[in-house]
Amino acid sequence: MKKYCLSSKIWISLLALLVAMPIFVVAFSWLLPEHELWAHFSQNLLPNLISSTVILLFGVGVGVTLLGTVLAYLVVMVEFPGRKWLEWALFLPFAVPAYVLAFVYLGVFDYSGYVQVWMREVLGLPGFDIRAGSWAIILTFVLVFYPYVYMMTRASFKRQKISMIEAGKLLGASPIRVFFKISLPLARPAVAAGLLVTLMETLADFGVVSLFNYDTFTTAIYSAWGDFRSIEVAAQLASLLVLVAFFLIYFEKKARGQAKYYSADVVNKKPYQATGTIGWLISLFVLSVFMFSFALPMLQLVVWGWASVGEEWSSKYFDLITSTSILTISAALITVVIATVLALPGRCKQGSIWLKSVIRLATLGYALPGSVMAVGLLYGINQISEVNIHWGGESINHLIFGSIALLIFSYVSRFMAIAYSSIEASAQQIKPVFTQSARLLGASRLRLIWQVYLPMMTPGILAGGLLVAVDVMKELPATYLLRPFGWDTLAIQVYELSAEGLFERAAIPALIMVLFGAILMGVFQYLDKKSSKTS
Amino acid sequence: MNIKKWISSAIMLSVALVSSMSAVQAASDDSITVYSARKEHLIKPLFQAFTQDTGIKVDYLTGKGGALIERLKLEGANTPADMFMTVDAGNLWYAGSQDLFQSVQTDILKSNIPAYLRDPQGLWTGLSVRARTIVYSTDRVNPNELSSYENLASEKWNGHLCLRTSKKVYTKSLVASVIYHHGKEKAGDIVNGWVNNLSATPNAKDSHVMNAILAGQCDVGLVNTYYFGRLIEKNPEAPLKLFWANQDTTGVHVNVSGAGVTKHASNAAGAIQLLEWLSSAKAQAIYGSLNKEYPANQNIAADEVVSTWGSFKQDNMNLSQAGILQSEAVKLMQIKGYR
Repeated sequence: MKKYCLSSKIWISLLALLVAMPIFVVAFSWLLPEHELWAHFSQNLLPNLISSTVILLFGVGVGVTLLGTVLAYLVVMVEFPGRKWLEWALFLPFAVPAYVLAFVYLGVFDYSGYVQVWMREVLGLPGFDIRAGSWAIILTFVLVFYPYVYMMTRASFKRQKISMIEAGKLLGASPIRVFFKISLPLARPAVAAGLLVTLMETLADFGVVSLFNYDTFTTAIYSAWGDFRSIEVAAQLASLLVLVAFFLIYFEKKARGQAKYYSADVVNKKPYQATGTIGWLISLFVLSVFMFSFALPMLQLVVWGWASVGEEWSSKYFDLITSTSILTISAALITVVIATVLALPGRCKQGSIWLKSVIRLATLGYALPGSVMAVGLLYGINQISEVNIHWGGESINHLIFGSIALLIFSYVSRFMAIAYSSIEASAQQIKPVFTQSARLLGASRLRLIWQVYLPMMTPGILAGGLLVAVDVMKELPATYLLRPFGWDTLAIQVYELSAEGLFERAAIPALIMVLFGAILMGVFQYLDKKSSKTS
Repeated sequence: MNIKKWISSAIMLSVALVSSMSAVQAASDDSITVYSARKEHLIKPLFQAFTQDTGIKVDYLTGKGGALIERLKLEGANTPADMFMTVDAGNLWYAGSQDLFQSVQTDILKSNIPAYLRDPQGLWTGLSVRARTIVYSTDRVNPNELSSYENLASEKWNGHLCLRTSKKVYTKSLVASVIYHHGKEKAGDIVNGWVNNLSATPNAKDSHVMNAILAGQCDVGLVNTYYFGRLIEKNPEAPLKLFWANQDTTGVHVNVSGAGVTKHASNAAGAIQLLEWLSSAKAQAIYGSLNKEYPANQNIAADEVVSTWGSFKQDNMNLSQAGILQSEAVKLMQIKGYR
């Protein structure tokens, strides 16, 4: 038994440490000599940046938690007009890159946007600077990122015991009381997981904050690198982000507590029927979230794209779509396979602080801004080359830089957190009794994994795969730096056009991405339905 | 669903995919490889014309300037790149200071491109000129009140000014030139005056600055002229005009997009040929018409639309200075709270 644990520990550790490579590179930057830049930064930049980052995280955190859980509760527990299609429509904003939505919002709601022009000219109201303060950017992030919380919480609500809610109803509790006293506490791990992903993504964001010109911690990272050409200080600052992510994960674990919630049955009948005015009010609320987070911005993109389709559309798009698809699918598959290996329940894992820590480490890459991670990878490989040269070998840089393998590795490293948290959540729902009875029947570990664990983890694996796929499709900075010749993606096309101010043309690749994302969601929906029927 | 089948085919597929595509693309002998921070739609037509003229193929990889420089540094002697092309003199200067370029000083380049648009050691060559000047609302501003960048810091413009973010290279190089002409202390006062006069959070893009002026949020701003050119092309009636700044003093601040031959170019001869071709009359005309920039080759007239804005005196500070002073400029703006 011990021998078996040792080899499995070694394999899992190697896998996790490989995925965590960029984290090590970033952390090792502290070994480099101290830079005089720190004095300037800590005096003139960091105090403001830290407070504005905290405000942003707090606002976005509260916002996505409220919106995500309320929406998830409504679509799972309440029957209201239009619920069926809204339940799926609410996923769609996830298919749109955050910076594209931010761009559209600014175009529509900024001082020169038609909403404010109308308010000034028709209503006679004074105009205002939407980018001043932090409320507008918080609202934008909430509308872009709520699907994370919604998606994870919805899955959790779906697996709650109807009988508990029915019992609450029998005891005369109002739906709101049932929500706060029964459903929400049971869904706490899922809410925390969604919140964690949102906060990490907000921390690492560069696109939305630069459009709003809102300074966060990433501003300092990019300033150190871009303005002062100090990749060392940039890496040191980035390692602080990783540290913050580490604490967030710690608190998430705390929030989950020791409690494990096992559940087998799936909510099929809605405990609440909202009819009449209340039903329509709920519909109106959910619909307006969908309108603001997806439908209206898409309408704007279609208007922009319509005018430029002749100018922009060319056979080049077949290449863009092909490379985007290949990258998306292969990165999602590999990430999911590794995440599943890391998340599989096992005797060796129980009580092994070492394994838990290395696996944690492998999920921290999500908090790194994409280009820091990409450059970190290049530096890591360069380090391996130097060791190799030291031993009399040759540099391997030119073999690995610009290869598909490196690009996909960067995706795996960056998006491991999302796949892992989703898959691990489903692994936690496996009741120990299954494992015990399988063992009593003398099943081998392989059979246990194949016939018990994997089927039960399917929903988490599917959700994780979808999340990674959509995130890879939207990914810009790492792709931009690491891609091989001729591997432009749709996200790169959106960026290159919009960076030059050609928004109408940028709408075309943006819309194709949304369509692409919607197709991925459709596949997910189909598989999700199928798996919940069979499980 | 059959998860086992799904996973095993997934593994097979991913291994096949990765192994089949990891091979690094080997460039053919006479082709030229370019790393470019200039966007694809602006360089592709040029390279196509070059290939048509010479039969030499050009492969290119676009990316962000700073990131491509890191990649070049780490690739070292094995880099596939023969040429690095980027916008902003600061980026060119930095690539030069990192020993990424080789010196190229041919007679053709010297006769095509004026000295202040070239690196003194011949490490890089400017290929197009981008002028950054004042744009104003013709409805609300009397051009007689405008004069210089420095003047926009005066109290008269309090609450009337819109600026682009300090994080953009064009702002950084402009402030570097202000430091070059006035010294750090006075430059600090000027930046301070700008910040006090702002009527909105600095914008992410030049086009947003002009939209804000059109909407009445502010009355004056600073933009690169080609952004103005694009706006006017779409909306010829827009009540906006350019004003040539500092004509009585230092001249309009100009920046360049440019290129250099990489130190470890495997096809240096081809890259030099491409660089010379890019400075030629034919290429310079394409350059200008694609993006409404000014040709770096002074024998070529600017694009038709661009010419209507009139001629102006350029600041002829050698653009290496913009690179040398750029981090000072950023520090100054961060201290003065220019976001």
